[in-house]
Amino acid sequence: MVSEYNIVITGVGGQGILTAANLLGWAALHAGYKVRVGEVHGMSQRFGSVIAYVRFGEDVYGAMVPEGKADVILAFEPVEALRYINYLKEGGLVIANSNPIPPVQVSMGLATYPSMEEIKKIIEEDFKGKLITLDAEKLALEAGNVITTNVVLIGALTQTPGFPLSAEHVKEVIRLSVPKKAVDVNMKAFELGVKAAKELLGL
Amino acid sequence: MAKVTDIVLWDKPGEKVLLLGNHAIARGALEANIAVFAAYPGTPSSELTDTMAAVAEKAGVYMEYSTNEKVAFETALSAAWSGLRAMTAMKHVGLNVAADSFMTVSYMGVEGGFVIMVADDPSMWSSQNEQDTRIFAKFAQVPVLEPSSPHEAKEMTKYAFELSEKFKQMVILRTTTRISHARGDVVLGELPEEIKLGKRKFGKFEKNPERFVDIPAFQRKKHSWVLETIEKMREELAECPFNWIEGKEDAKVGIIAPGLAYSYVKEALTWLGVDDVKVLKLGTPFPVPYRLLEKFFDGLERVLIVEELEPVVEEQVKVWAFDNGIRIPIHGKDYVPRVLEMTTRRAVTAIAKFLGLETPVDFESVDERYKKVSAIVPPRPPSLCPACPHRNTFYAIRKAAGSRAIFPSDIGCYTLGVLPPLKTVDTTIAMGGSIGVAHGLDVALNGVPGEKETNEKKRIIVATIGDSTFFHTGLPALANAIYNRSNVVIVVMDNLVTAMTGDQPNPGTGDTPHGPGKRILIEDVAKALGADFVEVVDPYDIKATYEVMKKAIETEGVSVVVARRVCALHHIGQMRRKGEKWPIYTVNEEKCTGCKICINAYGCPAIYWDAEKKKAKINPLMCWGCGGCAQVCPFGAFEVMKEGE
Repeated sequence: MVSEYNIVITGVGGQGILTAANLLGWAALHAGYKVRVGEVHGMSQRFGSVIAYVRFGEDVYGAMVPEGKADVILAFEPVEALRYINYLKEGGLVIANSNPIPPVQVSMGLATYPSMEEIKKIIEEDFKGKLITLDAEKLALEAGNVITTNVVLIGALTQTPGFPLSAEHVKEVIRLSVPKKAVDVNMKAFELGVKAAKELLGL
Repeated sequence: MAKVTDIVLWDKPGEKVLLLGNHAIARGALEANIAVFAAYPGTPSSELTDTMAAVAEKAGVYMEYSTNEKVAFETALSAAWSGLRAMTAMKHVGLNVAADSFMTVSYMGVEGGFVIMVADDPSMWSSQNEQDTRIFAKFAQVPVLEPSSPHEAKEMTKYAFELSEKFKQMVILRTTTRISHARGDVVLGELPEEIKLGKRKFGKFEKNPERFVDIPAFQRKKHSWVLETIEKMREELAECPFNWIEGKEDAKVGIIAPGLAYSYVKEALTWLGVDDVKVLKLGTPFPVPYRLLEKFFDGLERVLIVEELEPVVEEQVKVWAFDNGIRIPIHGKDYVPRVLEMTTRRAVTAIAKFLGLETPVDFESVDERYKKVSAIVPPRPPSLCPACPHRNTFYAIRKAAGSRAIFPSDIGCYTLGVLPPLKTVDTTIAMGGSIGVAHGLDVALNGVPGEKETNEKKRIIVATIGDSTFFHTGLPALANAIYNRSNVVIVVMDNLVTAMTGDQPNPGTGDTPHGPGKRILIEDVAKALGADFVEVVDPYDIKATYEVMKKAIETEGVSVVVARRVCALHHIGQMRRKGEKWPIYTVNEEKCTGCKICINAYGCPAIYWDAEKKKAKINPLMCWGCGGCAQVCPFGAFEVMKEGE
């Protein structure tokens, strides 16, 4: 049992971030941990930048991960990983979906979208983290439904060195949570995420 | 991971489940054998209301979505006056709407337990201010309970009913966003037989005008009852199971942590590795039990109060200390910020400063490194969804009224119309404020018929208001504008659901948790009130909407346009559940000239700019098939690609 494990999930409202946070929370609860999940509801959800927190362990209280304390940032969109990089602890891991969703301000020419090199440089050099990116959307489509992008990313997350829950356990919780007709595609999405992360992490 | 609506009805005492704070409170209300629940949805309180709506029939609870917080309060209150256990829920600004009744009812008290759940929103994640409800509790001299975790929120709900019944006074259960919207492990308790059987409970109202009629002669006698009651409660709350002293008994320093701040303090102390402190965990920030303070202060040389927002506890503690001749340093808002929400960082920083320690993470260095990030990360504010009918309505309004027109708006998803490129929201204040402001602007800038003098240079004023907001507090403002001969256009953006808070029904939809209610049509109301022009349009037809807007603007007097089309998010959700498909649009690159009208004037989030090809593109995963882009593009470049998902 770990005393504390912190996950920050980021992305764009509508990408299934709250569902992912809830699934991980239940997985941790079923593993016997004390759990806190922090979410954003209401207007903030509408295609804006979204952050959710999943914390579990023996000593967790607040629903938000403090800055500098996230073991992992799971980003559904690359620039959103960077926006919340101050949460990452030194030596932490960022798992990012590689599909950018340009904000309207970028399309209007009022702001620019940073390059992947810039994003990587800040994460790895300034914040001493490790970044892996995977095309989770593509893998989700390969599994059979783009809606499983979040499950691909959860699969990848379970391969994080030091992740306290077993991949099989998390997978089982997902299997029991999704509608029956969606079980197969979700299980496939999970496995594709596991495989991609193993390759990227050299496991 | 079972469905929440199943979990809150589970007859499994002792089972550990993961529940959102708001769900946990719903369970607590059921465990307390609640009979009546009435509320108007407001983030961050809405899930409590929705959960009650979902289980009401099965649990034998009467539940309603009232049109606003004041009537919700009165509905639930009447049940409590009839001896039943009743509850209402609202967000902090909702209490302002209910305040007129609330402030007076504290003089009358209740018979059955009456709990008012008020969800505060520090940091204003979904709100217009961050007012601290604990001040309202003190204002009315009504006790307030504040949980430190979702499980405690459930337990406190039960206790709140008991406390309310014992003292015959209302009780506020105050949460903040990080309780309401935090999931935590919750242990289920026993459900009463009546809830398990779904047996509806009926009350008994005993007439007592001296108590229930608030004429001055009756009320004068009761103010002192209010003050005596709160002091009796202050005494009682020293034994409240949600207040305790922990930590080192003979410590020289003490920390007082009310509500959720206790969680942050616990975490901060662990993180700092500090254990030689005494902690007063306070679940009742008003009234602070003095007897507990006596015990806590014994032997202390210094005290820090870590509380979110206003110094409500700090002021009570300092007054008590002064009156009792205690002259040790008591810190609070000099160490802990008074604005925005509490965080572990804030608690760690305040405690480290108080104890003369270093923080475990050099937060300033993190901030310094983050500066570079802030400079290059593009902003991503929330936006109107793809296919949102409001986008089309705003687009048509702007085109018809011109940019010189003034656009008062209201509280709802459509407030997002303030952002570029639509920029069709110039003012908002509170629910229903758009119509009042529109009329006021007309008076201030143009003058109204019948006045000796009016301004020759008239400004066009077009107000926007949502369907639910219209019924909430728009109605009196509309009556006022019509009565006082305003010359304004009021566009009711009727998306057939209370969208921003989670798709609740309202009088415009006619549905209730107990089956069909009686639907009220906005256009009928506007006609009945005497509006000079009333039309219903479908905003998915942009041209027709524009033409009706033109006519409405040209009409002297109050024009009401009802722009009716179901909320896209709600609609897509329903289609997904049914496995239905929708058309997806794509850009014909040969026809796209790169004029960017679709981006710079229309601003659908599914449309983005391909900088290399200098063409507009559509993200097929985000297109919800309304076809608005095809209507605004002058070159016919948007075409249906294929059947969607």
